[in-house]
Amino acid sequence: MSQLTLKRTSGMRPVVMAALLALLLTACGGGGGDAAESEAASGGASEAAGGSEAAGGGGDYDIVLIPGVIGDEFYVSMECGARAAADEAGASLDVQGADTFDPTAQTPVLEAVIASQPDAILIAPTDRTAMQAPIQQAVDAGITVALVDTTLEDPSVAVAAVASDNVEGGRMAGDALAELMNEEGAALVINVNPGISTTDQRQEGFEEAIAQYENIEYLGTEFSNNEPAQAAQIVDATLSANPGLNGIFGTNLFSAEGAATGVRNAGPEGEDISIVGFDAGPAQVDQLESGQVQALIAQKPEEIGTQGVEQAIAALNGEEPEAEITTGFEVITQDNLEEPEMQEALYKSQC
Amino acid sequence: MSSSDSPVRDEPAAAATEDPDATGADLVIPGQERDSWLRRLTDSTALIFIALLALVTVFAVLAPGAFPSVPNIRNIFIAAASLLVISVGMTFVIISAGIDLSVGSVLVFSSVVAVKAMTAVGNEGWGVSLIGIGVALLAGLLWGLINGFLIAKAGIPPLIVTLGTLGAALGFAQIITGGINLRGVPPQLTQVLGYGRIFGIPWLVVVAAFVTAWGIIALRFTRFGRYTYAVGSNPEAARRAGINVDRHLLKIYAIVGLLSGLAGVMSLARFSNTNIAGHTTDNLQSIAAVVIGGTSLFGGIGTVFGTVVGVFIPTVLQNGFVILRVQPFWQEVAVGVVLIAAVYVDQLKRRARERL
Amino acid sequence: MSAPLLQARNIVKNYGHVQALRGADFDVGEGQVVGLVGDNGAGKSTLVKILSGIERPDGGEIVFDDRTVTLADAADAHRLGIETVYQDLALAPDLDPAANLFLGRERLKPGLLGRLGFLDRDGMADDAAEAFRNLGQTVQLITVPVASLSGGQRQSVAVARASAWASRIVFLDEPTAALGVVQAQKVLDLIRRVRDNGIGVVLISHNMPQVFDVADRIEVLRLGRRVARFTPSEIDMDDIVAAMTGVLDHEAEATS
Repeated sequence: MSQLTLKRTSGMRPVVMAALLALLLTACGGGGGDAAESEAASGGASEAAGGSEAAGGGGDYDIVLIPGVIGDEFYVSMECGARAAADEAGASLDVQGADTFDPTAQTPVLEAVIASQPDAILIAPTDRTAMQAPIQQAVDAGITVALVDTTLEDPSVAVAAVASDNVEGGRMAGDALAELMNEEGAALVINVNPGISTTDQRQEGFEEAIAQYENIEYLGTEFSNNEPAQAAQIVDATLSANPGLNGIFGTNLFSAEGAATGVRNAGPEGEDISIVGFDAGPAQVDQLESGQVQALIAQKPEEIGTQGVEQAIAALNGEEPEAEITTGFEVITQDNLEEPEMQEALYKSQC
Repeated sequence: MSSSDSPVRDEPAAAATEDPDATGADLVIPGQERDSWLRRLTDSTALIFIALLALVTVFAVLAPGAFPSVPNIRNIFIAAASLLVISVGMTFVIISAGIDLSVGSVLVFSSVVAVKAMTAVGNEGWGVSLIGIGVALLAGLLWGLINGFLIAKAGIPPLIVTLGTLGAALGFAQIITGGINLRGVPPQLTQVLGYGRIFGIPWLVVVAAFVTAWGIIALRFTRFGRYTYAVGSNPEAARRAGINVDRHLLKIYAIVGLLSGLAGVMSLARFSNTNIAGHTTDNLQSIAAVVIGGTSLFGGIGTVFGTVVGVFIPTVLQNGFVILRVQPFWQEVAVGVVLIAAVYVDQLKRRARERL
Repeated sequence: MSAPLLQARNIVKNYGHVQALRGADFDVGEGQVVGLVGDNGAGKSTLVKILSGIERPDGGEIVFDDRTVTLADAADAHRLGIETVYQDLALAPDLDPAANLFLGRERLKPGLLGRLGFLDRDGMADDAAEAFRNLGQTVQLITVPVASLSGGQRQSVAVARASAWASRIVFLDEPTAALGVVQAQKVLDLIRRVRDNGIGVVLISHNMPQVFDVADRIEVLRLGRRVARFTPSEIDMDDIVAAMTGVLDHEAEATS
């Protein structure tokens, strides 16, 4: 009887060993395995805690980009721009991030990146207060930090903050929507979550602009938690309470996407609603082409990425970085979508 | 003889000359002395612990300056603390052959009402902080009691009940906050509980350690723990033995609710906001941790120590993979592989056991 | 025959429209083995569940030690010294034999630890080992879950549990169903030993030879009523069958 027991037990060991082996292979192989990356891991280890080099040029720097969330075309475009700048300077670029846009998920990733001792981190903080302390940890560890897109309560810990002038973007959205609404009716803003610097500023700019139009009633702002489904529900609810709704501004990718879904669900009641979205991801371009969304305020995420890397490298080289850089926008409509300049401005799903 | 006495009577032992093979009623299995160390080593919890050690070793070797550094180890523990607190409670629930999907929502609800309460009384100082902690714990306890009552007294399956409270708790949280995160907690809470340390150990980790210690001791050494195993193993047998199964289930779900409230406090202390959208997968993460640790989804088997290992494996995996700059996608795949392997090993053990 | 220790009078039990017991009677006295037999559906298991406190009767009364009693739950029955081995054994498969023996009656450590609920695991293990030994099972206690044991061993644990705790009456519902010849004989020996200790034993079984072997009396249940009482030495199989199939009915409704 006991022999039978032992036999069964030893039969399980290969299974577990196989599973472990699979894990190890994943760990070793998944990183790309090329020279630059293994150097990054061991190079980080052999360098002193200071991490930065005073020598000129820009070669061999290890830079990590931590976006707000993985899989968002805005950040993928940013990665493309960052990678281009890094390649040109001979630096290496890794991307690490969480799959939800919140500080609970972003913090452990940031902390692990800090432990791997890169020369610089480009980060889009998911909350202006919650991420202050963790990012301070990076600076204290001697890592050069540049903020991209979103910012912190106290951005002075970073060498540079590169972002769109989101207030200006909001203003542009306000004017574009007012024009689509023929300067009369009722307008709604669908925002993400308070505390995200970028979207708060867009709301601010929009409100500034829309206040100029006497015949447009501003219905206020609702928050969608970055969930398209929630945005759709908000549209449904607002339309029921205000049948005169004819203009919606979605402050980011998912908000605009959700708003379009909500308008589509509303059927005939939603036909006269114009939507201005922020960001130009593939799903939104589809919506623009099909007429569900009338205009998109496209940021220049590639430029943000490029500038972020350039300023970080400048700081690493001992030069004086530009502390604050704002990037501009393009207003994309069905009419100008095909122009080459506009095509350039569309966000990428891969580099 | 009252039933609280020992069943032993003074009687001459039966003749010891019986042939063990012929009797058949002999309960000896040769080679299996009590608590044999070899048997414990091949226990699925031991195997997964060895897997964790292997993982830690591999990462330490591949990233010697980065992975085993004190700040990084500390961060790993902090990252695991909140999930561990919830998972200790989840261990009891799953051993009782139940499940609780509402933990993330209860966490969010508890932190929302705590912030509301603290803001109402000034949002400053230790007294206010303690009020917030108390409110969060109470809120968690209440949701736990609701779960327990519906499961035990109304007899609705745990999966259904907690699916309902998952939605309800989150829904109430969104109603109270208007869908937007509440921000700002007393600085005492963040400075001490969130970022403070005692003897170099972060307070968050100390709290998690206390909860874990309680869980280990209660499950293994107390009547409460044994009843948990009994109810999960065969609730009807427990009932016939005189155990109040309903009351026991109520207590178990109340505990996991309370611990979810505690995790809400820990989250507030660290991030200073209610993070409404950030806890949607807490339930699956903690169930995965419990199962990876060797607890059976069918109930009756499991340990809190296993859960600790089960919490650390995904945490260590993510940390190590990020340090090694592995693409994020692979991290999820790896956790999935570990989960499946752990369940498969458990299945094999169960089948082997039942064929004897 | 000694005065009945436990009497069931006119027990009625309905499950919805099904009348499981229609005024069933039953007697068992101290230090005797009573075989409770009947065809499938006669109501034997239901009667046992009622006398064990697991179910409550819809009518009739239970008299124990000349007092009418109400058994609200299993604990009430245990308090009277009544123990039961159910057909499904009612063991917790993931707990070891000692834990199962003490299920619901765990021994706590003395003093403060005990008040906090700490188990006296070593004490229970030792006592369980001794209990198994005393009941004639050569057992060395091991901490394997009961599910790892064979069907026969599991049944032995259940039988040992009931006989160890019982001080007045033990009910055994099909205790030898899963056992081989040798193991079954050990259970019958155990039954005789328990009886010799002055405890009343009620044996439900389809195995008539075993019943004849060990019982002092036999009571026959049919369609929810007692239809006959026999002394094994005075009758044979045919009489039992006749009672079970309704040909013989000594206790027609008219009599009280």
